[in-house]
Amino acid sequence: MRFRAKIVDLACLNHFSRIVNTIAKLAKTCILRLTVCKLYFILSDKVANGGASMWCELSQGNFFDEFQMEGVAAEHNEIYLELVPENLSRALKTAQNAKAVKIKLTNKHCPCLSVAVELPSLSSSSRIVTHDIPVGVIPRRMWNDFREPSVPDFDVSIYLPALKTMKSVVERMKNLSNFIVIEANLSGEMNLKIETDLVSVTTHFKDLGNPPWASEDGCQSSAQGRDLESMAEACIDIKKLQQLLAGQQVNPTKALCNIVRKRVVHFILLHEEVSLQYFIPAVA
Amino acid sequence: AAMKCVIGGAQLRVFGKAIHAIARISDEFWFDPVEKGLALRSVNSSRSAYACVFFSSMFFQHYCWTAVSQPCQKEKQLSLPCKLIIKSVLPVFRCVNVLERNVEKCSISTNPSEHHITFQLLCRHGVVKTYNLTFQECDPLQAVFAKHMCPNILKVHSRLLADVMIHFPTSQEEITLSVTPMKVCFKSYTEEDTDFSRTMLTEIQLSPEEFDYFQVGVDSEVTFCLKELRGLLAFSEATSVPVSVHFDRCGKPIAFSIEDLLLEASFILATLCEAEKEAASPGPACCPRPWDSNTDTATSKKPQQKGNTPSINSAKPPSALSKQEVKNIPRGTERDVPGRAGAAMAKAAAGEATEAPYEKNSYLYKYCIFQFHSLFFGAISYKEKEAIGDTFQSLVTASDPEEEFGALQSSQV
Repeated sequence: MRFRAKIVDLACLNHFSRIVNTIAKLAKTCILRLTVCKLYFILSDKVANGGASMWCELSQGNFFDEFQMEGVAAEHNEIYLELVPENLSRALKTAQNAKAVKIKLTNKHCPCLSVAVELPSLSSSSRIVTHDIPVGVIPRRMWNDFREPSVPDFDVSIYLPALKTMKSVVERMKNLSNFIVIEANLSGEMNLKIETDLVSVTTHFKDLGNPPWASEDGCQSSAQGRDLESMAEACIDIKKLQQLLAGQQVNPTKALCNIVRKRVVHFILLHEEVSLQYFIPAVA
Repeated sequence: AAMKCVIGGAQLRVFGKAIHAIARISDEFWFDPVEKGLALRSVNSSRSAYACVFFSSMFFQHYCWTAVSQPCQKEKQLSLPCKLIIKSVLPVFRCVNVLERNVEKCSISTNPSEHHITFQLLCRHGVVKTYNLTFQECDPLQAVFAKHMCPNILKVHSRLLADVMIHFPTSQEEITLSVTPMKVCFKSYTEEDTDFSRTMLTEIQLSPEEFDYFQVGVDSEVTFCLKELRGLLAFSEATSVPVSVHFDRCGKPIAFSIEDLLLEASFILATLCEAEKEAASPGPACCPRPWDSNTDTATSKKPQQKGNTPSINSAKPPSALSKQEVKNIPRGTERDVPGRAGAAMAKAAAGEATEAPYEKNSYLYKYCIFQFHSLFFGAISYKEKEAIGDTFQSLVTASDPEEEFGALQSSQV
């Protein structure tokens, strides 16, 4: 099992750092899955995460100048590592003006991802900063736990409002309540609601637009036979939503959510080179 | 003695940063005005870190120090520095950056008869903030460290050190500096029982060319407390004076110092001794253990006295004192001493008591020489006192008439 990768382009490095920062906000520990073409950051819906799960996928070619990996076996040419994304985030944080960043899977005292940052210095030789991030190797037999979640059979799919706006609304609501209700309909309307003994607050968004989903039976995409005005709602943990929004440092190309009434809210954030899906289960 | 000084706007920032730097060492600090300037000193409870910042009189817009002599004494009297609680002083210099903008000057004056030190900030728009802080009298604090005898000396702009430290998390307690003539490396400290599967380790390699001055006489790897150092780094950035690092093999202290015409600052930190790390007894996991300053003082001082031991602050020849100290530390007598000196010795005795569990491992921990000059000894050997009289300057006069010293007391004051 081997892995080496190198980033030389500063823009790619910054972009990659931002992605890692977002992941670090969402999960304390997560799985990094490496394949020949892609990297995945995966959080599976364990009770410990409060049932939330995450799937983030990026093409390595968009970030790395060099990328070589050898999986556990020829027919399973993949590597699954468990790590603390905050560590990776920290290692990359001070690499803002690096000449190059090399990431390597090593085994010093224990399996590690070694991040070596080559920094410019006042002298002829560069400064090298090395961070050894401990990782856990996930054995082949457990890989099934980390499969890509399927898109749920949702009631409503709707584009999200400007994330910055949504973030400031949710942040204020967080002070008042632990749970937030997201409801939306197929007419491009969304409401964020909180309700406590003392106060209830609702923020209304309209003209958001509903994404067209191609499906086999054509049911979901057609408007006929469906009540456009009826709201599908789910009550979720407000902190999870706030973490998702707070972690977004750049506006995504597309941001939408799928609501399964009283079950789960599925967020999809698409950037040019990376896609992030985040599932927040509804609270009973 | 009495002291009054005024710090002008631009220097306020530097002074404030010094206070903040010292605050990282301990909750209290020694405030010691002398004729040539003002010294601030601090030592942490485990005596593994010592800081001293000396501002020469030229640093101040105005600096005035007068020795007050008593009629019964022809020479300058023994003076005592005083101790202030950092928490009381920090609010005065809270937001150093804001300070610069709003405060025109700061005046500090001592009021011996009322046990006050008064800090007065003259701010814009005619606002005057006055802080009257009471102090505690105490024995002088002074450390002696033979910097010139260190085989390894590095000199570098504080920016470089700050750039290095930024790669370590703020929670990183201890850091290891490893040098050979070919390279310099700062890395996270690890020990035998570090849980590597949970700890992220960081290491930075620098080439000797990056240093303004680079001398490595002996390959060494020293581990010290990073937290305490960060204060000095922030302070030296405010002064933009380069930082000198003097050190030796592991176990011997490491000194970080800055020096220019107006001020001198030194932070001396104990380092862990590698060889017997496994045998290290449990205790405060944070920083290197207390130095066994009592038992080893005598033996360690001697070699240093052969060389001309410079003191790290501007107080007068400690070598004379140290000789005296070596002669005059009969433990039995110490314990009989009541009053202030007794308190000091009791403190030392208490220090010994707590260090007793470490006694077995005391050979592990090397030390810097701390001389806790006792008032008692100054009084006992009155004649020699004249030679050392310069070192003791009194901030207060006749404050403890009821002390058991009686005749001795009045002669000291």
